[in-house]
Amino acid sequence: MSLIVLLSATLAIVVITMIATHVMGRAAGWLAAAGLASLTVVVAARVPEVLEPGTAIVESVPWMPTLDIALRLRLDGLSALFLIIVLGIGAIVMAYSARYLSDRSVHAHTGYFAWMLLFAFSMTGLVLADDLVLLFVFWELTTLCSFFLINRSGRRASAPAVRTLLVTAMGGLALLFAVVLIITRTGTTIVSEALLDPVWQNDAGFAAGIAVLVALAAMTKSAQFPFHMWLPDAMVAPTPVSAYLHAAAMVKAGIYLLLLFSPALAMTIVWQSILVSSGLITAVMGAVFALRRFDLKEIMAYSTISQLGLIVALIGVGTPSALTTAALYTLAHALFKASLFMVVGIVDQQAGTRDIRLLRGLRGRMPVTFTTTILAGLSMAGVFPLLGFISKEYLLGAFSEPGGPVWLGVLLAGTAVVASTATFAYTGRIVLGGFTRYRGTERASDDLDTHRMPDVVREAAPAFWAPALLPAALGLLLGPAIVWLHPLVGAAGSAAAGEPYSATFALFGGITLELALSATIITLGLVVISQRRRLDRVFERRILPFTAIDIVERVRSGAISLGTRVGSMSRTDAQGAHLSAPWILLGALTVAALFLAPSLGRVIEPGEPWTDALLLVLLLVTVVPAVLTHTRLTALILVGGAGFVVALWFFALGAIDVGLTQLLVELLTVVALVLILRRLPAVFHRVAKSRQAATAAIAIGAGAVATLATLVFTGRRDISDVGQYFLEEAYVDTGGTNIVNTILVDYRALDTLGELTVIAVAGIVIMGVLRNRPLLAERTPDLSRWEGSSLLRAADNTLPIRMVARWAAPVIILLSLYLLLRGHYEPGGGFISALVGGTGFALAYLGASTDGRAPVRWAYRGLLSAGVVVGVLSGLGGYLVGSFLRPVRVDIPLPWGGEYGFTSALIFDLGVYFAVVAIIIALLNELGGVRERYGDTREPAPSPGRERVS
Amino acid sequence: MSLALSIGVLTAAGVYLVLQRGMIRIILGFVLLTHAVNLLIIAAGGVSRREAPFFGGDTSVAADALPQAFVLTAIVIAFAITVVMATFAVVGRGDDDTEPDHPEPDDSASSGPSAAAGGVESPTNSGDAS
Amino acid sequence: MTGVLEPLLPLFVGAPLLIGGLLFVAPRHHLLRHVLGMGTLVALASGALALVVVTADGTVLAHQVAIWPEGVSIPFVADAFSSLLLLVTAVLSAVCFQYLIASGEARSPSIASFVIVLAGGVGGALLTADLFNLFVFIEVMLLPSYGLLVILSRRGGMGGSRLYVTVNLLASTLFLAGVGLIYAVEGTVNLAELAGAADDPVTAIAAAVCLAAIAVKAAVFPVHGWLARTYAATSPAVAALFSGLHTKVAVYIFYRISAVIFEGEATWMLAILILASVTLIVGAFAAVGEREIRPLLVFQMISGIGFILVGVALFTPLGIAAGIAYMVHHMIVMGSLLLVASAIEQTYGSGRLDRVAGLRTREPLLTAAFVVGALSLAGLPPFSGFVAKYALVLASADAGQVLVAGVLVVISLVALMSMMKVWADMFNGKRHADVELLAAEARVRTRAGLLDDDPVDGDDVAAEAEWAIERHDPPRGVQPADEDPHDHRGTRIPVRLIVPALVLAGLSVALGLGGELLLSLAEQASVGLVDTSDYVRAVMGE
Repeated sequence: MSLIVLLSATLAIVVITMIATHVMGRAAGWLAAAGLASLTVVVAARVPEVLEPGTAIVESVPWMPTLDIALRLRLDGLSALFLIIVLGIGAIVMAYSARYLSDRSVHAHTGYFAWMLLFAFSMTGLVLADDLVLLFVFWELTTLCSFFLINRSGRRASAPAVRTLLVTAMGGLALLFAVVLIITRTGTTIVSEALLDPVWQNDAGFAAGIAVLVALAAMTKSAQFPFHMWLPDAMVAPTPVSAYLHAAAMVKAGIYLLLLFSPALAMTIVWQSILVSSGLITAVMGAVFALRRFDLKEIMAYSTISQLGLIVALIGVGTPSALTTAALYTLAHALFKASLFMVVGIVDQQAGTRDIRLLRGLRGRMPVTFTTTILAGLSMAGVFPLLGFISKEYLLGAFSEPGGPVWLGVLLAGTAVVASTATFAYTGRIVLGGFTRYRGTERASDDLDTHRMPDVVREAAPAFWAPALLPAALGLLLGPAIVWLHPLVGAAGSAAAGEPYSATFALFGGITLELALSATIITLGLVVISQRRRLDRVFERRILPFTAIDIVERVRSGAISLGTRVGSMSRTDAQGAHLSAPWILLGALTVAALFLAPSLGRVIEPGEPWTDALLLVLLLVTVVPAVLTHTRLTALILVGGAGFVVALWFFALGAIDVGLTQLLVELLTVVALVLILRRLPAVFHRVAKSRQAATAAIAIGAGAVATLATLVFTGRRDISDVGQYFLEEAYVDTGGTNIVNTILVDYRALDTLGELTVIAVAGIVIMGVLRNRPLLAERTPDLSRWEGSSLLRAADNTLPIRMVARWAAPVIILLSLYLLLRGHYEPGGGFISALVGGTGFALAYLGASTDGRAPVRWAYRGLLSAGVVVGVLSGLGGYLVGSFLRPVRVDIPLPWGGEYGFTSALIFDLGVYFAVVAIIIALLNELGGVRERYGDTREPAPSPGRERVS
Repeated sequence: MSLALSIGVLTAAGVYLVLQRGMIRIILGFVLLTHAVNLLIIAAGGVSRREAPFFGGDTSVAADALPQAFVLTAIVIAFAITVVMATFAVVGRGDDDTEPDHPEPDDSASSGPSAAAGGVESPTNSGDAS
Repeated sequence: MTGVLEPLLPLFVGAPLLIGGLLFVAPRHHLLRHVLGMGTLVALASGALALVVVTADGTVLAHQVAIWPEGVSIPFVADAFSSLLLLVTAVLSAVCFQYLIASGEARSPSIASFVIVLAGGVGGALLTADLFNLFVFIEVMLLPSYGLLVILSRRGGMGGSRLYVTVNLLASTLFLAGVGLIYAVEGTVNLAELAGAADDPVTAIAAAVCLAAIAVKAAVFPVHGWLARTYAATSPAVAALFSGLHTKVAVYIFYRISAVIFEGEATWMLAILILASVTLIVGAFAAVGEREIRPLLVFQMISGIGFILVGVALFTPLGIAAGIAYMVHHMIVMGSLLLVASAIEQTYGSGRLDRVAGLRTREPLLTAAFVVGALSLAGLPPFSGFVAKYALVLASADAGQVLVAGVLVVISLVALMSMMKVWADMFNGKRHADVELLAAEARVRTRAGLLDDDPVDGDDVAAEAEWAIERHDPPRGVQPADEDPHDHRGTRIPVRLIVPALVLAGLSVALGLGGELLLSLAEQASVGLVDTSDYVRAVMGE
């Protein structure tokens, strides 16, 4: 079976089992077990092909060729060993789950099986991956699977799940960084090639950096100090989950990664020192902590940490024999730890508790379970003749000759002895505490009263204990039959060492140092167990002032409070803050500009006419007081005045149409703002003097820069080519003489289309907003003192202006139409004519004696729409002659001779006219408060809920 | 020179008003800023030529028509935005103030019944205008 | 193929404006509005898809609108980059509009027309190669946005809306000034004619003014703060729409100007790189600090802007491609997450992490959408976020910016933290006793069209809550009552509100497993930015 198929098969098992759970509930576990078991056989069948050092089965399917990422799979001795562990233990745990899980609901277990089997899939992918990116992908998938497995087990699981995810994800990111660095440095994404790259020898710094990152990744996964906390933390997950994660999956991923990178990094000092120190610390710490726990499952968790510590330290030693021993130890640990966890599950189910202070006398009642525990336990403690004994022997051997000074060997071996002694001791604690009257301590704990062990405890059904017994029995079998393991473990060792190494483990290697050490361990262990009651008191005291969980939590809350502070930089709606931020950017830009000190062209100085100076003075006269005044109305009037001066500027610079537009727009702006001022306080809000000073500084700076910019950037070139083109070709191209207008409606009609859309949408927006939210109330001045005076009779007071309006309005509107028609040739065109017309309406509006009698109540919504539609349609008409907005020209003979050069641009201009006139009427009616008083029936009835009923 | 100074004056006044408090002032500030930019664009065409660009005129002194077209468009767009801003200034609560003296309540996005708020530890961060 | 297509480019503006204009006179029958609106958006999307196909081989389609000589008329250009964004923006608009319809928000008149006109403006901004015309289309995008912002906002105070208008107006004014300066120096605003013009420091500074203005729109540090405020003040669905359209169009312009005018000039790119890095750091941390889901997500979006800009700042082919890939991924995922937030806020009446809890057991579909979005945002496989983030980190390291690569990696963890914060509080966690009251109040307000600070009758709310608990059975497969105040009875999110988010989440998965598609599109787009000669040739017709 090819590797790809193998990988997909594991995925298929996920799907099949998920479906099966809906039919057969927990029994689907058997199905999954069968599937995984058969896959294990398949792998075993292919093992012989990869036993020769250096040989491997390699397959590749492209995935993201752009980044040279592919589904590259590679089966060599190392991955074969791990694959067998992953699939084999997986099968056993699945079989176990089929009995462990409650048969309460058929649907309840779909998620459990899904995530567990996805885990098997991810692990399979991880150990097979020969592509650095693929390796990372599967690495992160295992992280996610563990997260969801823990998270779904009850409410108390939330915090542990999140902590686990954060810690392991951090490791994952370290791996990502390492992967990226390796790829950029070696130029290949293929793991096996990258590891052979000379760079590892040539560039010590690079190797050291990668070593740190990879070690970090592995240590978070394998729960090594100081990242060990998540493992016991994650004990909330159901027991089979723990069994799988601890024996075969999650934590073994870290070991695999270390072994995988060993060929490149084994001889790096950083790598060795990190792994050995962290590993041994973890080994001792874990073992000691295990001696303080009462929950069997927790003891197991710390035991896992401790055992993995030993393996990690072994890998750190890095000699071929050490690496091979590490491979063997991994297998041994997988067997006994899986078995032990399942035993705990059985005890938990049968006796209803896992607390050694409650458990008593199960030895007699649960003989099989007890035997299993003994077998697995002795293997863990390293007692002859189990597999654990051999691995422990060679572990001690490897530690005693790490290469390097003698004292180092002594130190390592010594520490290992301490850890192993503690291991022996907590094994005793498990066996005695779980099956005899031993309670770990006399101290009773409050939560003990709530739980009670049922009086009748029965041995579990064979189908339940069989899966637990199997691996333990294997441990017993493989001890004497160690030679069977030599080929596979040897191949794994050689792969990890990067050089051929043939394993020669022996159950009894004569009277050696290792044997002596083992003997010491066992004796010491027995002493500790016999003295357990005295020692328990010692261990009860907290060893560290803080737990690792506190640290993670502190980091998290630290990040959060920092974030809160970062966020509060901008956590305000005060516009002053947000509107001044951009000036920081511009200030920096100005400084940059001054540094660049650009070389400038010659200024074409026409010698400006004296009128310019006059305009400047006029501007100052209007602008300065506008800034200083405190009353809204004054400011408005003065700014309006400034607008008129600007219009004069435009005239002075030969921009007739612009000037006209400016005048009219200014007029309308003032009218519009006057309409809203009625609803606002007369004077501005106060602001602090300091604030004014600061803003003044910014303002003056900005002004200075603006002036400077104008002087530096403008007036240093003659008219642009395109400008020249317009002057010469406009008439030929468009038949128009008013060049500005031809640009607006012929050359750049697209701008104009956008602009009339803007106008129209603005109208719609205003209407929509005012239908959602009421205008502020008007602040009518107190008129009591004018009571009875003619001033209050609006009808009379507005008489004159109404007289004017009555005559003027039509005239103005006619005038505006005339301006529209001639726009193409003389000053005028859509905007100007519409604005003129608009002022006509404005006049009529002002003439009305009350808001209510506003004379113009047209369907301005329709007119707004018409503006856009006409504009676009005339644009589409352009397709007749080849392009959107291309003007169509016809010469219409006039009855009185001559002809009128008609162009579709005129229709376009009509669109502009509609839009602009419409928004003016809309303004007068909406802001004038007409609809507010008299409602507006043209608006479709607001649908319930969304529109504000006002 | 006068033109450059005028642009500077308009910019300074505009920026000052924009950084003040209250929508009206901000609106007026933007009106002035827009004037400044429009004049700048005209100036960008070059102020040495000051004749209105009409066909038949003397092309050697006629001004660059393109910036004028730009400005015309810009003026009208600015007008549209101004009136929208004006509308925003006179709806809502209170007046056109743009700097609430008191921080808005934290859960203004998700106002729960005040009774319901009891018992729930109330967050402090999102909304304190400091 | 080409030659027929070019003249049609302006229709990406013309068609939506026409329909939008027609919809101004909002027909009483809102179903018609929905159909017309959705039809237009789908049409735009399919048109964009056609462009993507045509330009996939590096073809650049250019058309002189109204057929005047090159350099005189406004050129519309579609290359791989603009086509790609055109497609993604159209799809996003359609999905968000679908949500607005589902939530009933689209019933209010002129919402449909606003969305369509907005889409038209986006089309213009993406296709035009003329800076002033670009300014116009930015405004065409903005005005309907003002309408959407206020009309759909349920806030009584106008603070956020006013802020949105003024900040954007300031940015536009600055941009216009920049355009003016460019014209002053170069005598043209035609992008193609400006290719490489930044060799002249004077032009460079002028163009930098434009970039600064765009930076304000894109919410780059230090002008990022306004975004979190304004997006949190309007309807969450509108925030989703804006995050996909406004900021990303700004980023698109940033890419275009940096590539065409600056041609990746080193010193300027370094400045951008620094700003981008600060932005992504600040955004990520600010997000962790938030206690409401929407501000949290919006800060994540700001952080994302930083990520995207890193791509162009590196200005290597790989870097730009990675940046573009990240942009596409981010538009989709951010949209998905914000729509998830809307569904929560509008159904449960609150977006506060400490008010809503226990969604995981109640809302499996929503949970799925959120999980995909969150993990994708944090850059975990097998989602689009992983492909994009990996490419970006690789590009940074490849360009020798190992430090930046490290920052990207570390910040991913911070992003994951904030997502986990939402997960732990809103999705795990146990439901509060008052959850039904909140939901009921939300419904009461909506029905009466009340704003959040209008008074509401407590009895109505209580009655509404009772009714809801009566009516809704616990979700299937959930055992009643683990500490749940109402035995898992009571308000659930209607599926129609979750579907849009699910669609986008699905896209994220597809672009993760099918990363090659995303990468190859992005790579093709980057080619046209690294070497702009084809672009220039197409526009200037040489």
